[in-house]
Amino acid sequence: MLSMQNISMVYRTDLVETHALREFSLEVKEGDFVSVTGPSGSGKTTFLNIAGLLEKFTDGRYELDGRDVSALSDTESSAVRNEKIGFIFQSFNLIPDLNLFDNVDVPLRYRGFKSAERKRRIEGVLDTVGLASRMKHLPSQLSGGQQQRVAIARALAGEPRFLLADEPTGNLDSQMAMSVMELIAEINRGGTTIIMVTHDPTLADMASRNVHIRDGRVSDIATDTQLAEVATG
Amino acid sequence: MFSYYLKLGWLSIRRNPLLSILMVTAIAVGIGASMTTITVNYIMGGNPIPQKSDELFKVQLDNWDPNDQSEGEYELPEQMTYLDAMALMRDRKAYRQVASNRSGLVLEPQGADELPFSVDTRNTWADFFPMFDLPFVYGSGWDDTADRNLERVVVLSKEINERVFGGEDSVGRSVRLNGMDFRVVGVLGEFQPVPKFYDVTNGAFNEAEEIYIPFNIAVEYEFSRNGNTSCWKPSDGDGFEAFLNSECIWIQFWAELRNAEEKQDYMAYLNAHVEQQKALGRFPRPLNNRLSDVMEWMKDREVVDEDAQVMLGLSLLFLVVCLLNTIGLLLAKFMGKSGDIGLRRALGASRSSLFIQHMIESGLIGLGGGILGLGLTWLGLAGIKMLFGDFVENLASLDWVMVLTAIGLAIFSALLAGLYPTWRACRIAPASQLKTQ
Amino acid sequence: MDIGPIWRAMMRNKTGAILIALQIAVTMAIMVNAISIMQERSRMMARPSGIDEQNIFYISSIGFAEDFNERVTIEEDLAALRGMPGVVNAIQSNSVPLSGGGWSMGLQTEPGAEIDGTGVALYFIDEHGLDTFGLNLLAGENFSATEVEWRERSATEWPDRVIITQAMAEALYPDDPDGALGKTVYIGDDEPLTISGIIEQMQAPWNGWNGVERVMLTPLHTLFGSTRYIIRAEPGRRDGLMPEVEKLLAERNKNRIVRSMRTMDETRERSYRGDASMIKMLTFTIALLVAITALGIVGLASFSVNRRTRQIGTRRALGASRAAILRYFMTENFLISLVGVVVGAVLTVGLNMFMVETFSLTRVAWYLVPAAMLILCIAGQIAVFGPAKRASTVPPAVATRTV
Repeated sequence: MLSMQNISMVYRTDLVETHALREFSLEVKEGDFVSVTGPSGSGKTTFLNIAGLLEKFTDGRYELDGRDVSALSDTESSAVRNEKIGFIFQSFNLIPDLNLFDNVDVPLRYRGFKSAERKRRIEGVLDTVGLASRMKHLPSQLSGGQQQRVAIARALAGEPRFLLADEPTGNLDSQMAMSVMELIAEINRGGTTIIMVTHDPTLADMASRNVHIRDGRVSDIATDTQLAEVATG
Repeated sequence: MFSYYLKLGWLSIRRNPLLSILMVTAIAVGIGASMTTITVNYIMGGNPIPQKSDELFKVQLDNWDPNDQSEGEYELPEQMTYLDAMALMRDRKAYRQVASNRSGLVLEPQGADELPFSVDTRNTWADFFPMFDLPFVYGSGWDDTADRNLERVVVLSKEINERVFGGEDSVGRSVRLNGMDFRVVGVLGEFQPVPKFYDVTNGAFNEAEEIYIPFNIAVEYEFSRNGNTSCWKPSDGDGFEAFLNSECIWIQFWAELRNAEEKQDYMAYLNAHVEQQKALGRFPRPLNNRLSDVMEWMKDREVVDEDAQVMLGLSLLFLVVCLLNTIGLLLAKFMGKSGDIGLRRALGASRSSLFIQHMIESGLIGLGGGILGLGLTWLGLAGIKMLFGDFVENLASLDWVMVLTAIGLAIFSALLAGLYPTWRACRIAPASQLKTQ
Repeated sequence: MDIGPIWRAMMRNKTGAILIALQIAVTMAIMVNAISIMQERSRMMARPSGIDEQNIFYISSIGFAEDFNERVTIEEDLAALRGMPGVVNAIQSNSVPLSGGGWSMGLQTEPGAEIDGTGVALYFIDEHGLDTFGLNLLAGENFSATEVEWRERSATEWPDRVIITQAMAEALYPDDPDGALGKTVYIGDDEPLTISGIIEQMQAPWNGWNGVERVMLTPLHTLFGSTRYIIRAEPGRRDGLMPEVEKLLAERNKNRIVRSMRTMDETRERSYRGDASMIKMLTFTIALLVAITALGIVGLASFSVNRRTRQIGTRRALGASRAAILRYFMTENFLISLVGVVVGAVLTVGLNMFMVETFSLTRVAWYLVPAAMLILCIAGQIAVFGPAKRASTVPPAVATRTV
């Protein structure tokens, strides 16, 4: 359960104030697959950063799993991210110096799991994304789609409640994009709540619900029925 | 093209000012440390009389205790007895020859209210002045007649002439030394051989003496000796006469031999002299005479201080650390602009032109390090002067050879340090950095 | 700690790490060997000269006039000096410890020209000598006024009795140093001397001589034209006495010059100036070296933080706390330092072996090696702390930034 009420985010420099989000409100239920769309500069990324506790907001109220996160310290936020949230980034953000195994291992290390547990999970998720055989490879030895699968595996390894995806297919060609999207959809079917930022309407339509942001406000929330229509039509 | 590369190098240096300053500082500190010690070693090991160092020979005769061996070998004494020195001076078998020693006299200035003071003195012969190329501002050295006739003549150093005669032409005037009047025949200009090769026994880096008087006069009036005197057996009886006839060594003997033939002849003469003395019961050790030219003699006496060598070694290692530092930083820097390099490659820059570009950038950093390092060297030498005081007055100064060496070493080091980073930079593929990001 | 992945990531980018490790290794080799030299020098400088250094000063007198009567001058000078208020005692002597110039000769336990004597430094003193220098007589007796002789420069005879140091007794009679008192020693083949006293300790004039503790005292006044008076002042009165003594001597007799008045403190300073300067230079070198190495670490670590900003952001997004990021960079540096100091230990020993072989230096004390390893690791941690701290402040939102 994720709930944002009247969230505002203002970036201040000496000269200008930029309102990235204005009284933004959103509720996401357990097991939802929400897509967030909007033109560039509309506040999509800011929303995602706040939702993922990557950034603090200026004003408003945000509860994640019933817990008010605005008062969390940096370290507490880190722990929440580590346990409850998985991230998928547009440019994958794999660590180039680490092989696939070590890359997936990164969040598990911060979780403090024992070595055997980590190994079990890493092998499990890499198997899920179909890359178990390439565990010792470096990211640079993989294609873009494969890299993103590794990133997804990394996001899944900690068994998060929420998966936040930022243009997950932005750097992929359409064929690879489809396979990645299918993977994400499958994860959602497994019960993980997914919030995906994208500018691509086709992808957005794959979600069960679409939120459109314009100038930092929710301009339109597509309903399940609308999406169902799109899906069937 | 070169000026274009210079410009690129300069722009690149300015783009990361902090990193550039760090690199220049690292090289400068390394250069400063090593050039300071290199300079001290260079001066210590320098040739004090380059124009004729291979024609001047230190003469050593092995008249020492037959029971005194170090590590199973006879070590030749550094100095000579009065008996042998006088025999060699009498026979005059070398082109020029000189026996001399160090002493101290008391000089009484003419002015009533001026106090007498002591002066470092070299007791020597007429040949000393032309042989060691002493520079004169007034007059000249004395001649053989003065030596033979026990004339009381004196040559003054520039400083003493300044102090006693206010720097005027004092030739012909008289100076009172140990209660006797001496006639000034010459006044020297600047004279300070480093090392003071003709008497390393009493300090290779001591000041040159303040006045020079005939050796025979010093003997005649039994002037006190100031330098090292070593004896391996007691003299036969008391008194100065007995001392002169003893086996004590206290005289430095040098000969000027202009070619190999003269040297060979002189050696033969020395051997003949020793053989003759052996017949008289002297020279108990086996025949072992030696002629060493100036640089051989400096090497034999190890005039380059061991501490200076240790510091030289450590400071060169220091330079290595600074270079490793620079390699790391250059690598970081060149890899940091791999996008720029990839772009240039894509736009048609060949590997060799990139190589030149980055080597020039390294060279520029080296130049900066060299100039700053030169300043640090100067500070380092000033520091050494401050620490060691008057001992090193003649050792810590920069000449143009050292200035060029410093700059050259800095640029060379920087190029060396730049080699690997440049090679890495040249290997960046043209497209690699353009694809993503 | 997460050493495994940190190490593996580092191995992907070896060059930078190797350069830092090498730098630390060479720094350590220089540092340890320099400290070893410094230790050796300070040990040498700490050796006592055996005399009452704080209160002793000396001055030279050189007669130059034709009618200068040296013996009378010396006798009168000494009487006048000993009569001065504040003076404990005064003597004429040829030299003092640490001055760098003096007499030495060989003593042998049996007569004969073919025997190699034991080198010993000579001080000419009279019956006031032990008191003036502040020497501690362990056995035997002081010289008496009547046995002090006057010696011309070229004399060859020696007084019958000598006082030697304990160290000289040990060198002469290694099997029975305590029995040295009363024994006869010889100068050359035929000059016998009786050991009439043994003093605890006194240094020769040459601090670098390997027999620096081998000293013999002989009851002599010298008539060499130039002489030296040693004056021991009451505690605290030395500096006040010095100008008075100079004035007294200068005015008592105009046919000589007095010069080179110097305290023992100054003599010690001059004697060890080379060593003291070496210590200062080495200290400075080490400080500079560690600074340069530290700056290198700061520079490269800063660069590596900049290069890895995105990666740091990603780690933060994946749940790394600030402390975890700080720890990552500290650990990485620690691993590099560790490799550096291990290589450094090998280099140190190698360099030391070379230096011992080439120069007259001693071996490095073993404990310096682990101490330097520890210090350099700590220095590395301090140097990397700044960049690591900066890394930890990289905001997690960097991860979602589009480049």
